This record gives sequence, C-alpha cells and structure tokens, in this order.
Amino acid sequence: MSAEVKPRRAAPGAGREAGPATSGAPPAADAKPKEKPPFLLDFFPLEGPDQTRLARFYDRLREGRLSTTRCPHDGERHWPPRTACPKCHSEELEWFDLPESGTIYAFSAVLGGAPLGLEDGVPFAVGLVDLDGDVLRLFGRIEGRPWTALHIGDRVRVEPFDLADGRVFYRFRTVD
Amino acid sequence: MTGRSVALVGGATTMFGVRATTWSEMAQEVGAALFRAVPELRTEDVDSLFVGAAEPERFAFQSHVAPLAAEQMGLRPHRVIQRTELACASGQSAIRSAYAAIASGISDIAVAVGVEKMNLPSMAEANTSMGCVMDRPWDGPHGATAPPFFAMVAQRHMLEYGTTPEAMAAVSEKNHRFANSNPHAQFYAKKFPKEKLLGLPVVAPPLRLGDCSSMTDGAAAVVLAAEEFVPRYSTTPAWIRGTGQYSDFHNLANAGSLTDWAGLTRASREALGRAKIGIGDVDFAEIHDCFSISEIVEYEALGLCERGEGGAFAQDGRGDLGGDLVVNPRGGLLGCGHPLGATGIAQAVEVYQQFAGGVPAVRQVPDPEWALVHNLSGSANVHSVMVYQGGRES
Repeated sequence: MSAEVKPRRAAPGAGREAGPATSGAPPAADAKPKEKPPFLLDFFPLEGPDQTRLARFYDRLREGRLSTTRCPHDGERHWPPRTACPKCHSEELEWFDLPESGTIYAFSAVLGGAPLGLEDGVPFAVGLVDLDGDVLRLFGRIEGRPWTALHIGDRVRVEPFDLADGRVFYRFRTVD
Repeated sequence: MTGRSVALVGGATTMFGVRATTWSEMAQEVGAALFRAVPELRTEDVDSLFVGAAEPERFAFQSHVAPLAAEQMGLRPHRVIQRTELACASGQSAIRSAYAAIASGISDIAVAVGVEKMNLPSMAEANTSMGCVMDRPWDGPHGATAPPFFAMVAQRHMLEYGTTPEAMAAVSEKNHRFANSNPHAQFYAKKFPKEKLLGLPVVAPPLRLGDCSSMTDGAAAVVLAAEEFVPRYSTTPAWIRGTGQYSDFHNLANAGSLTDWAGLTRASREALGRAKIGIGDVDFAEIHDCFSISEIVEYEALGLCERGEGGAFAQDGRGDLGGDLVVNPRGGLLGCGHPLGATGIAQAVEVYQQFAGGVPAVRQVPDPEWALVHNLSGSANVHSVMVYQGGRES
C-alpha cells in the first residue's frame, strides 16, 4: 500500500513500438492466479495480466516508458489507455510512448485530508501537465519542489516508480 | 413537454451537520418530517420510491439501500423502487427519475429521498470515499479529490480573468449569510464575514476553508405527484417544466478548459428550452456551490454574465436579494453543508417553500414564478439542471 518507492529512470533509447493493445490469446492453463490472503482494494490499480487487459501499460512503465493506446484506423489517441476505441469502437489498438516531459498547466496541493494509503508525503503538489508536443494534458502528483515554489509553466518530467508490493505507477518531478 | 404534468407537492429536510446518528436513523427522521410536512399524504399513496445516495457502501458499509430506506420510512412501493447514484447529483437524479416515472404513467405518486452519512470517527474514511468519485485507478493514486481539482479551476480562472480571492469570498459570504436564516443549515449559527473568510486556513491553494463545502450528514425528501393528484396534497405546487443533463468526460486528462463549463451551458439550455423560457426569466436559482469558484464559473456558463465576469457578478451583488436573480437563498452547499445524496433534494425543498412563501423574510424571493436548480457531480464532468414553475394550476 505504501508508495515508497524507488524512482525508475527512463530506459535509454526506449523507442516507439506498435503492436496490438491486447494479445487476444487465452491465458495459459498455468496462469491461474495464486491464492492470496484477504486484502482491501486501494487507490492503485490491479496491474497483472490476470486482472487487466492493459497489463502491458504497467510492463512498459517498468521499462521506464509511459505509454498509451491509439487507434490505427482513425488516429484517435486515448487517455487512459483503452481496449476499444471510443470513436470507431475498433478493438485493434496500438501502443505508443508518450513524451517524457511537459509543462505545468495548473496545480494545487493536498495539505491534509488525504485518502487512506496516500498520506505519505502530505503536503504534496498535484497538477495538470501539458506533455510536450500537445499530445495530452495529464494529471499527476508533482515531486521535487514544495507547492509554494511551483509556477504555471514550470517544466517537469515523467517519473515511473515502484510500490512496495511490486506494483508500479508514475508521477511528475520538477526539472531544475 | 410530452407526458403528464408533474409537480412537487411538499418536502422536508433533517438538520444538516455533524450528526450523532446513522444512515438508517436519518431515513426514519426524514420520513417522519415528510409526513408531518404533507399531512394529506398516507403511506399507501406512495407507489414508488427513488433513493439518492452517493456512497453508502463506503460511508455506511451498506448496499441495496432503496428497500432499506423504504422500510425506515414505512413505505411499501409497488411500482418502482430504486437507488439513483450520480455522486454529488444523486439527489437530483432521484427527482428526475421520479418525474420520468410519473410523466410516463408508470407512477402516480412518488417519493424522492436523499440520505448521506459522511462524518465518521476517522475523517480519512470520508476522504477515501471522495477519492473514489474520480477515475480511481488513474487519477486516484495521485491524490485526486474535489478540493485540488476545484483549486485548479480557481487558479486558471484567476490567471485567465483576474478573478480574486475577494470575489470568491463574496460568494461564500452571501451563501453563509442566507444559511443564517435556515435552521437546518450546518452553519446556521456561525457568521462568516468577508474578512474572516479571507483569513481562514488554506485547504487546497488557492482555496481556503470558507471556499469549500463541508462533509455533512443529512437527509431530505420530496413528494411528486401527477397533475390529477396534485390538488389533494398542495395548493402551492412546484411544477417541473424542464430538465437537462450533459456528461462530457470523466478522466481529468479529458477535461479540456477548466474555466468553460460547456456541459452546464448545454444542460441549462436543454432544461430552459423545454420550459420555453430564457435564463433572464428565472427569479431564483439553487446552484451547486460545492466551492465558491464553482458558483462564479456557473454564473458564466448559465449565461447570467459574460465569460470572465463571474467574479464581478458576485462582488456587485447581482446574485443577491435585490440583484438580477437570487442565487442560493437556502444557503447553498457552502452554508448548509453537502450531504451528497441529500443536497439536490434539499434544493428542491427550498424551491417548494419559496413558491409557497414559506421561508424567513430575509431570504424570501418576492413572488417567484421560475426557479432553476443545478447540480454538478465529480470534477464538474456532469451537469444536471431542472426548471420549476410556481403559482399555476397545472
């Protein structure tokens, strides 16, 4: 549950890759999920291939690449990544890497009253970031500077990080 | 409008606030208050029940709340019984669903009730519930809840239009002042002059405590009836003349402009168009001031003023008694508190009572004919609007 954490550096030279969003292959017989003790759902997603058809998003995040899907038929780019295009409803989507940096469009901060499991690091800043190239305006936590030292227009980079239980997620970090 | 005419014929609310009571007990309390407020109503008259409840699973660890509420209120619905969930607009959804059922002929007399229990021994529970309203696996892990989102709306509005903390405080001062005339309001007994509001702690910069509505326990209920049954219960019905909704995104990445709530413009045009009136005909409005900045952006999206002029609209008193129209005479979410499922129904109770001339003089709108009610939900990604007319036979 704790979000601590070692930052992942983007894999050098991580290239763009096209390919189907989902393999479509049935799970192997031995892919039956192992029994686990009872747990409470938390804010972080269940990321494994036995839980989501978007497991590839998290695999790529582990490689340091923030990516999402687009539709090869109508060029529609999605966030969050999807299994079906909302425009033409094609289920044959492809992955592409998102830019690794961007500019703060708006921000605020969580000074108290954080949800359970997200109390670490309060106060922390959150914001909407325009990724380079006008691809996407993405919401995320912003590390690196206290909120009092942030400004609209500040540069940030995408930072994947590991959760203690093996899951992975992403956030932004200011660029000095 | 097709279908039968439908009117509110009465309503009641419980006390709003930090209550030493449970979800079920509030359903009983509002049921008792409703039957006192509508003396001609018998339990067997009510054929349908719609229960607005946003998150009873988290706040009260309870699902299937529609039959629970029916039992608490002494009702045995035999046509439609269901819960409506639309986060902060769950209550208005209950009214809209009851209206649709009656207009279509499925129901003749329905109750719409909203109940929300939000205050628990651990406020972290409530904050966790509020986080679930967002796109939980994508925006949630970043700490997305309502205050930081609406804080970004405020930040952009300040940047783009020069809106000031003083303008936001003008909204909050007005609504808290109206709440001082409403004994059911969470802040009935608390005064919030502008200077005090501007000195309260920052919750999510640039929003201060007085810019934010509260975690509130409360319940509200209204009775809706088909036209032929209306005279049995009320001589001052509030007729539903129009409704509209619009939903244009969920994930925050897809919000587009934070300061142009085009969904509200569309939903209000739909509702006003069905009522065959314009926004200038509206005498008073109960709109969703979950944050002070929300009311400012809503003035603009409703067409009460130009884009960017919402702050001046507030500071010039154009939404106050004696202004262009009266906005949030009940005291708003800021003054009354915001029990999610109950809010939209408490707003409708105010509409009914205003038309009946039954509120204290300091907030009574003079001879009102038209009222507009608005709720947003989530990150202002859904807008729900209803238009009511008073003072007419049917």
